[in-house]
Amino acid sequence: MSAPTVFGLLRRITPGPRWGVIGIPYLWMLVFFAIPFLIVLKISFARLAIAMPPYTPILEVDNAEVALKLNLSNFLQLGALQNGYIAAYLSSLKIAAIATLLTLLVGYPMAYVIARLPPSGRNIAMMLVVLPSWTSFLIRVYAWIGILKSSGPVGRLLEKTGVIDALQSLGWIEGRQILYTPLATYIGIVYCYLPFMVLPLYTNLVKHDGRLLEAAYDLGARPWKAFLKITLPLSRAGIIAGCMLVMIPAVGEFVIPELLGGPDTLMIGRVLWNEFFANRDWPLASAVAIAMLVLLLIPILVFNRVQQRQIEGRLT
Amino acid sequence: MGTDMAAVEQQQAVAGHGPSPTPGAEGYLRIVEVRKEFDGFLAVDDTNLSIRKGEIFALLGGSGCGKSTLLRCLGGFEHPTAGKIFLDGQELNGLPPYERPINMMFQSYALFPHMSVEQNIAFGLKQDRMSKPDIARRVEEMLALVQLGRLARRKPHQLSGGQQQRVALARSLAKDPKLLLLDEPMGALDKKLRTQMQLELVSIIEKTGVTCVMVTHDQEEAMTMATRIALMDAGRIRQVGTPDEIYEQPANRFAASFIGSVNMITAVIDQDEPEFVTLRSPQLDTAIYIGHGISGFEGQEVSFAVRPEKLGIGKDEPAQPHNKARGVIEDIAYFGSHSVYHVKLASGFTIMANFANVQRWASESMTWGDTVWVWWGDNDGVVLTQ
Amino acid sequence: MSVGRARWPTWIILGSGFAFLYLPVLLLMVWSFNSSRLATVWAGFSFKWYGELLRDASMLEAAWVSLRIAFWTATASVVLGTMAALVMTRMRRFPGKTLFGGLITAPLVMPDVIIGLSMLLMFVSLGDLFHFQPKGMVSIWIAHTTFALAFVAVVVSSRMAELDKSLEEAAMDLGANRIKVFFLITLPIISPALVSGWLLAFTLSLDDVVIASFVSGPSSTTLPMKVFSSVRLGLSPKINALATLMIVIVSVCAVIGWWLMYRSEQRRRLDMQLALQDNG
Repeated sequence: MSAPTVFGLLRRITPGPRWGVIGIPYLWMLVFFAIPFLIVLKISFARLAIAMPPYTPILEVDNAEVALKLNLSNFLQLGALQNGYIAAYLSSLKIAAIATLLTLLVGYPMAYVIARLPPSGRNIAMMLVVLPSWTSFLIRVYAWIGILKSSGPVGRLLEKTGVIDALQSLGWIEGRQILYTPLATYIGIVYCYLPFMVLPLYTNLVKHDGRLLEAAYDLGARPWKAFLKITLPLSRAGIIAGCMLVMIPAVGEFVIPELLGGPDTLMIGRVLWNEFFANRDWPLASAVAIAMLVLLLIPILVFNRVQQRQIEGRLT
Repeated sequence: MGTDMAAVEQQQAVAGHGPSPTPGAEGYLRIVEVRKEFDGFLAVDDTNLSIRKGEIFALLGGSGCGKSTLLRCLGGFEHPTAGKIFLDGQELNGLPPYERPINMMFQSYALFPHMSVEQNIAFGLKQDRMSKPDIARRVEEMLALVQLGRLARRKPHQLSGGQQQRVALARSLAKDPKLLLLDEPMGALDKKLRTQMQLELVSIIEKTGVTCVMVTHDQEEAMTMATRIALMDAGRIRQVGTPDEIYEQPANRFAASFIGSVNMITAVIDQDEPEFVTLRSPQLDTAIYIGHGISGFEGQEVSFAVRPEKLGIGKDEPAQPHNKARGVIEDIAYFGSHSVYHVKLASGFTIMANFANVQRWASESMTWGDTVWVWWGDNDGVVLTQ
Repeated sequence: MSVGRARWPTWIILGSGFAFLYLPVLLLMVWSFNSSRLATVWAGFSFKWYGELLRDASMLEAAWVSLRIAFWTATASVVLGTMAALVMTRMRRFPGKTLFGGLITAPLVMPDVIIGLSMLLMFVSLGDLFHFQPKGMVSIWIAHTTFALAFVAVVVSSRMAELDKSLEEAAMDLGANRIKVFFLITLPIISPALVSGWLLAFTLSLDDVVIASFVSGPSSTTLPMKVFSSVRLGLSPKINALATLMIVIVSVCAVIGWWLMYRSEQRRRLDMQLALQDNG
């Protein structure tokens, strides 16, 4: 029970605690995160087979010959314009980009006013912002189904007040309800990802020195000008972090477009799901995943670099 | 007399801090050719120091001079790029902090926030596997030493700044280390508390007799607390000596201008004799006469440093043929106990002279624009060749 | 950056923002008491959907599965995530550190479908090669831990970066080696961050539907999977009841947690004031 003997034991069995602490998480992530991607890559070169698992091996050993059979048909399928995959990728990018922009437009003012509250108010406000994300995200998306349905109380209210007419004339919706349209998907993404945008923005804005703005006013700048020239540029890091945290996962979103978007809402996450679950075509699904990864690679790398420097940088 | 020394003497008298305690063994702590580089930046440059047992030794310098790096090398938190450190004959190189008989009091105190005062002090003793009753006894001793007995159960956030400092001190003395390191000990305290704590700290350290190396950028702190000071600049040690040695006998221009204020006059050696030396300066009309020989040669360019409190100032010309100058009072800084007169000489050079306001309203006789004479004695200044 | 008290634009922005965030769930909670099946008609207050929910054995079973997986996920990811945070914040460069950093931060933004697919293919390959395939709850646990530990690592490393290094140096100075320093000093001080991380991982695991769908076997259906399959078909009043229950539980816990923190902050502030007055 006493501390000395526990440590004595630890010291005897570990080769060097430093390598254990590095090694265990490293090994875990290599095995369960990095290597799986390699396997996805491998299977994207396989052919669909009626077997369990439903794909062919790519390494064939026959007597003393080893043949590597890389099947490119999956990628060719993806690349063929008429198959609609490229359209799905582009659509995903477009939807994610628009949704990210909307989230930024909603989230920035919130983060800004919260950062300017007195400290006690700030903490409560941030807790209230983060609280919804502790409840099930699935359920919150589900809540919007009822709201955006034309037959629900909110739907009927929107119909009565002419909002539906307005939206239809703007071309944002085609039928009489918002549900099962791309607009619903935007609303869903903004709703679910809002805390991920507000949090990094708030963390950045709260560190701004109020005296910088005071100096600007003293030198004759109007509040709006001071905001554009001082606050906005200084919050750039927060904006980038927030946008990355929203956009990258949004590109591959599945649940939100599946529940809220209609058949018109083409997103690559749904394509992957359908290829895997509906068509049982694992190789094609893998190819979709690889293409998605390639698409997101650069933003992910940029995000990684920024994150890592943030973690380490606070020490210097 | 200059204010700096007067104040220091006053404080020393109050503390019962007489002449330096009998110097202990020479070379108790030896720093030999220690050098520390960071990524090409040279923080500490081939330093050598010998510190006696029982003395309070200060590393004094501005920020970036390398004093903190050197201290951290002593503590084991940095590894010297080259050189060795010996404590009581034992080589310290390669030993991690937890194996050195050295303890450090950090600038931020670094008190463990989740432990009480007692537990903080006992922490080091527990690592030594001391028995529980022994630990309790020692903790009580330490609390009595710093006079914090009744606060034993409190946590650090329940203590004031001064109390936290005492806990930090007690914790670092609990293991009776061979060497105590102090990192900017007064840095976190406000001005009023500082002066009082300086004396208390010294008194406690002397009571335990521990050898102490402290780091500070505050010259007043170093002069008050330390038995010897090493002046550091850009990684090098510029002078080592007792406070009055450094003040009255600066070895170079850096030392002269770092501590207190000084008039630095550029001059050339005119006559170089064994018993006296005269200097000629473009900044003064009359020659400078030094009443003793110096190592130098005729024509050598030197600096003559004389402190403002050594200068006499008055309306009448002094009788002596040298060591005087005439000018116009350009500025007066009034400090209550004394005034500092900035006198502009004919050459354009401004010389500073202190005038103690011994008599009430005496300084009223000299005011801006008045022509006055300043003068000094033959041995009041120092000739500096570096 | 607080500049004065809040003025009316602040109230408008905050008001509409919070309304946007909270009204949907409030509506959900209200509907859960609607005795009519349709959301269009309010037929009177009723608890009957709660009754149906509690009688639904498969739903309860799925809930129990999810809770257990979430518990073990949270525990494992706190251990692994803290190790990862230690490596990122306290260790000097070693070959492969950049890759490690990348592996630890990538899951934060990786789309769920990719994680799900890759993990399933991994498990299947393991089954092929070594005749050992993690199935059911174990596979979900592994998958959840893998991405949750990235979040824990972020939370813990941000706390560790703020930790005063001189505390750890002081402990070493007083004779404790690195292991002791971690367990006696670092860990107790960062423990609130570990608790946050545990709760975060728990929530992430409990909430995941995509990854669980990919890697689970027929024996293990998680609660989100059940909810998703019934919700795909449209509104389901039982789900409203479930949603309300979850929201209430989470809110109560959050309020308790916040109140506890608030009280200890107050006590701390009082202590510091007393200390200043004391001035020994």
